[in-house]
Amino acid sequence: MTKTKWRSAGGTLIGILIMIVFLFPVYWMVKTSVTPVTELYHNPPHILPVAATFESYINNFVRNQDMIGYIGNSFIIAAGTMILSLLLSVPAAYALARLSIKGKALIMISVLSIQMLPGIMMAMPLYIMFSKVQLIDNFAGLIFADLIHSLPFAIITLRPFFLALPGGLEEAAKIDGCNKFTSFTKIILPLVKPGLMTVGAFCFLFGWGDFIFALTLTSSNEVRPLTLGLYRFIGQYGTEWNNLMAVATLAALPIIIIFVSMQKYVVGGVTAGAMKD
Amino acid sequence: MSHKSGASGSYTLSRKAKWFSSWNSYLFVLPALVFMVIFIGFPLIYNLIMSFQNVNVYNLSGKHDFIGFANYMKSLKDPVFYTALQNSVVFTVLSLFFQFTIGFALALFFNLKFPGRNLFRSLMLLAWMLPVVISGTVFQWMMSGDFGVINYFLQTLGIIDHPINWLSEGSTALLGTVVANIWIGIPFNMIILLSGLQGLPDHLYEAAKLDGANRLVQFRHITLPLMRPTILVLLILGIINTFKVFDLIFIMTSGGPVTSSTVLPIYAYQMSFTTLEFSQGASVSMIMFLILIVISIVYLRMSSKEEVH
Repeated sequence: MTKTKWRSAGGTLIGILIMIVFLFPVYWMVKTSVTPVTELYHNPPHILPVAATFESYINNFVRNQDMIGYIGNSFIIAAGTMILSLLLSVPAAYALARLSIKGKALIMISVLSIQMLPGIMMAMPLYIMFSKVQLIDNFAGLIFADLIHSLPFAIITLRPFFLALPGGLEEAAKIDGCNKFTSFTKIILPLVKPGLMTVGAFCFLFGWGDFIFALTLTSSNEVRPLTLGLYRFIGQYGTEWNNLMAVATLAALPIIIIFVSMQKYVVGGVTAGAMKD
Repeated sequence: MSHKSGASGSYTLSRKAKWFSSWNSYLFVLPALVFMVIFIGFPLIYNLIMSFQNVNVYNLSGKHDFIGFANYMKSLKDPVFYTALQNSVVFTVLSLFFQFTIGFALALFFNLKFPGRNLFRSLMLLAWMLPVVISGTVFQWMMSGDFGVINYFLQTLGIIDHPINWLSEGSTALLGTVVANIWIGIPFNMIILLSGLQGLPDHLYEAAKLDGANRLVQFRHITLPLMRPTILVLLILGIINTFKVFDLIFIMTSGGPVTSSTVLPIYAYQMSFTTLEFSQGASVSMIMFLILIVISIVYLRMSSKEEVH
């Protein structure tokens, strides 16, 4: 009895040590963001915060409001990516799981292989196409581009949720007077809510974290997201790492919030999205 | 109405099948398919066509001639292409090796039962979910020469005796990006391997214990063979995903100094968006695509063999 207790306490202790080492970069980001400039170039560096200050947050989000614009843009792009991915993927995943349509295997193989495409391979033709139809510097253009990765992911991740539902649901709905579409919206959809949460969260993350399309398909700050803002900031501010880390921390915040509030869905989504193929 | 009368009558199998297969089933997939044709299929074909033409920033809106494999030949003659290919291979192999081994070790550890393991496991995923721009920037700061905390740790431990400019020296820049990429990839490897481990049947281990097999023997003769399918999928997915990493390297080093950390996606980007030789860039991404296809075919072969076993 005591031996197992010791062992599990030892496990927790080692676990904490691993966390300290592994999450150090995240800690260092937050710590640097509250470090005053004078402390920043202290040699050797202080590992624990000394004279913490919110100066760099005030600098970047109150005095200079550029970042606020980037944050707003990121929200538009991430929310748009999430909504459009769900609108397109949910009915498609349902049909691929439960309806009989011809070419199902071909569609699944195509969806799977799209995930393999390098972003840069899509960025260049999209850039030329989009410049012909005024989709450069356009939220819709960025959302469409982000869907290249989020849509196949969403279809692949959602399909097993529909497959797992018991057979005969549709027949029962039909007896109750539903047609194919109302049985889908009224009976089936409420049952796959966990799947919708997982996929929604991930598609939001894809949109929020996109860099390559923001880099290649925008040229004005009107639509640029925070990821690109942060990147341009590196060039602009050089080594003002406290300012940079304040922006990075704020850019990470929505991810952390989603992560903490939807932990259950997120952890399930990682394994589902990667392995169900 | 007609549905109701159908239900009250004899509910035959053919009627049921008809309900699932009638034409309006296609309406469910149609929006997604149309989207994929326009925004994925079309750009892909366009990219393929461009790779055989002479499109650049000057003649973009004019007429383009087909020039056969000239772009491909030019790419294959460029020494930078081979540097990029080599860097891609080094980046992929080193990243995967350490992501996988560290991830596996952590998966074995988190498969033990102790308080807090679920919390720890989820916390690690956070690192994987952070936008790459953020992790890249943080690692850039930690690896900076003068005040970077990594130099401080290494000097304190006595591993190096003077600070190193990790990302601005040709000999270490690629290594720096690899380290950041390993950090990003460990949680994913761990979670996938852990879910594989949790699916292994307990009774095999109990039987092995009765036979007096120690942990190492159990690992070699039970865990590894049973985990083979998971490991294969994970490694192939890892190769594909690591081979196409762009953001992290672009943010940390932009492929430099000179070409010391230029990988194929960075090389394709520079062709398309810096020198604005679109057709040349298209040929590079086609070559990259071909490499990924070959890897995927190997994967499909291996996984179909797995299923036979």
